[in-house]
Amino acid sequence: EKMASKISVVLRPVKSIVVRFCPFEPNVESTRKFLQCIFHKKIQATNRNCEVTADVRHDGSEPLVDVVFADGDRLIMKGANLTTVEMLTALGSRCNAKDLKEEQKSKKKSP
Amino acid sequence: APLPTAWLPALQLARRGSKAVTRHWKAMHFQRQKLLAVTEYLPPRPAVPPRCLPAQREHPQEEDGYARLLRRQVEQVFRSSRMVAVCQYNSMPDEDVVTMRYYLRKHNIEVKFVLNEIVRPVLAQSKYRNLLPLFVCRNILLVSPETRAREMLRVLKGIPQVNLLGACIDNTILSRQGVENFSRLPPLEASQGQTVGALALLPSQTSSLLQHGPSLLTALLDEHIRRLRGTAAPGEPPQEQGKG
Repeated sequence: EKMASKISVVLRPVKSIVVRFCPFEPNVESTRKFLQCIFHKKIQATNRNCEVTADVRHDGSEPLVDVVFADGDRLIMKGANLTTVEMLTALGSRCNAKDLKEEQKSKKKSP
Repeated sequence: APLPTAWLPALQLARRGSKAVTRHWKAMHFQRQKLLAVTEYLPPRPAVPPRCLPAQREHPQEEDGYARLLRRQVEQVFRSSRMVAVCQYNSMPDEDVVTMRYYLRKHNIEVKFVLNEIVRPVLAQSKYRNLLPLFVCRNILLVSPETRAREMLRVLKGIPQVNLLGACIDNTILSRQGVENFSRLPPLEASQGQTVGALALLPSQTSSLLQHGPSLLTALLDEHIRRLRGTAAPGEPPQEQGKG
């Protein structure tokens, strides 16, 4: 539980995050915890333009996290059998990679 | 008391040989050694070592009075309110929390922060067993003695950090879609009026239904009389009296 809030994710390259889950299902705990951590002020402070939406359904569908990046990439994480920490680290690593790529691009453009 | 007179110190430190603080290990004075040896700490040893005694079972934890109080409060809340909505609470800045409480209070909706470990046993014993899977991670309860779902949904739409998961309105467990449908229902008086109107429709038609046959017969006979009068001389009394 403490681990999940210590992982810092830089949301700068992220455009929007949609978290879809069905609260009456038993396998949504990690997805809900993920949503809770995303709304932490430190992570929200990294990018105020990122829209985080929570989609609450009741159709027995699997919990899903849909991340759309600023350069058009999509990351879909099916949270039924993932832990919160895994999801956060996956998102964090991809964000860092994209950030590095952007920094390199901007460095190349302005030498 | 008289002023204390001067006195000679009881202890006089004699400098013999090296000073008190030396750079080498200084041997303790024999009397000091004896004193320390006599006053050494000996930990108490139980007569029978604990590993030889039969294993102690962990005594049942004493029930926390505070937890009991919170549980009683939750039970009371469930009993007294008609509408109980369960929402997931993600961290929000404090002023937003206060604003949300203020707007919901205007519609007579109270915001209650609950701990899962308190609510779960209460729900498990009451009839709201199906709400149990909702209580994971941080939740808040929005309770109200009235069922104003439309205003509640409107307030919550403007707050992305609070997500409505489900509600129990008038002892009916509803999902988020259910709450939205419920909010779109017409008010109770209007639906009561509609029901009464629909039920009263058929009886109002009964009298006209019963009169339909005889009135048709009357109309036919009148037409017949008119025809006969037309062919026969006027002044003949009509054959049949109108059954109107």
